[in-house]
Amino acid sequence: MLSSEKIIDALEEQGVTHVVGVPDNGSRALFERLWAHPQIEVILTSREGEAFGLASGLYLGGATPLVLIQNTGFFEAGDGFRGTAYNMGIPLVMMVGYRGYKTMEPGAPRVDTAATFFEPTLKAWDIPYTAMHEDGDIAQIPAAFAKARETSLPTAVLIVPETV
Amino acid sequence: MLDKYECLKKLAARRTDEVVVTTMSVAMPWAELSDGPLDFAHVESAMGHAADFALGLAIAQPERRVFVINGDGSTLMCLGTLVTLAQRPAPNLTMVITENGTYEVTGNQPVPGAGQIDYEQICRGAGIQNVYTIEDADQFDAHLEAHFTGAGPQVFIWKIAQASEPVPKPKRPIRERAHNLRQALVG
Repeated sequence: MLSSEKIIDALEEQGVTHVVGVPDNGSRALFERLWAHPQIEVILTSREGEAFGLASGLYLGGATPLVLIQNTGFFEAGDGFRGTAYNMGIPLVMMVGYRGYKTMEPGAPRVDTAATFFEPTLKAWDIPYTAMHEDGDIAQIPAAFAKARETSLPTAVLIVPETV
Repeated sequence: MLDKYECLKKLAARRTDEVVVTTMSVAMPWAELSDGPLDFAHVESAMGHAADFALGLAIAQPERRVFVINGDGSTLMCLGTLVTLAQRPAPNLTMVITENGTYEVTGNQPVPGAGQIDYEQICRGAGIQNVYTIEDADQFDAHLEAHFTGAGPQVFIWKIAQASEPVPKPKRPIRERAHNLRQALVG
C-alpha cells in the first residue's frame, strides 16, 4: 500500500497545480484525497490520450500539471502522448498504475498483458521511469520532476500497490 | 455553404491577442494570415487532441481567449473530449468545428457518417450549452463577434465547402512552436 497523504505531500513540494487523468482501483484513494485538496485541481478526461494534450496545454499556459492514469489507458494514449507532451518537449511527470504487476510473479495463474507489455512500451516510447512499491519509494516523485526538468521531456512514476 | 478562407480572413481581421490553435486543413491557410507565437498549428498527428490541448491552455490562462479550430474528422477522433470540455467548463474557450465531411489533407476521403452527423446535437448532448451552426456568410458575419466574446465553452460549427489543402508543414518544428507559445504566455 502507498500513502496518498505522502504522495500529495510530494506533489505539493513540486508545486503541482492540476492532476489530469482517469481513476482506477489503485489510484482511487489518491483521487479521493486530491478531490478534497484546496489547491490542486483534479480534471477528469474521457480517455487517457486527452490527459497528455490537456496537461501539455496547462504547462504551456504556466501551470504545473501531473498526469494520473492506469497502464491500460497509457497504451491507448500513445499518439496523444507522442504528438503532444513528447514532441513538444514538455517536462511532464505522469504517475501510472501498474495493473497486473502481481500476475508476473512465478506461479501466478494467468499473466496480465497490461503488465507484461508495460515496461517494454515505456522503453520503446523513450520514457524514463521508476516504480513505487512502498512509501519509501515516494522519494522517486521529486526525482522524476527533476529528470523531466533536466531533459525537457516526460518521465513516469509507476504506482505498483494500491494507494490508501 | 461557407468558404473557409473567407471565414479565416474575417477571424484574423478581428483577432487581437487570442491564442489560436489550428489543425489539419486550416493550419496552413491560417498561417498565411497569422503565424506568430500565439498561433499554434497542432499538426504533429495526435489527431483529435487539439481541443484537449486548447482546454489546458484556456484553464491555465483564464484571462485570455483561446480558440481551437478543429476539423470534423479531428473531432470524430476524440468525441469524448466534448464531454471533457463540458465537465470542466472554460469560459474563455471557443471551439470551431469546420464541417466538410472529408479528410481534406489526405485527398477528401469521407469521414465516417459524413452528411448524417448533427454536430450541434452531439455537442449539446455532451453538455455544451452554447453551440451554433453556421451555414452561410450572413450567419457568419452575425456571429463573428460572439466567437470572441461569447461565454465558453462554446462551439461554432462552420459548414464549409470542400477544398484541397496539402498535408500541413509548419515552418518551425513543434518543440520550437511550443517554446515560443509558452514564452508569449508566461515569459
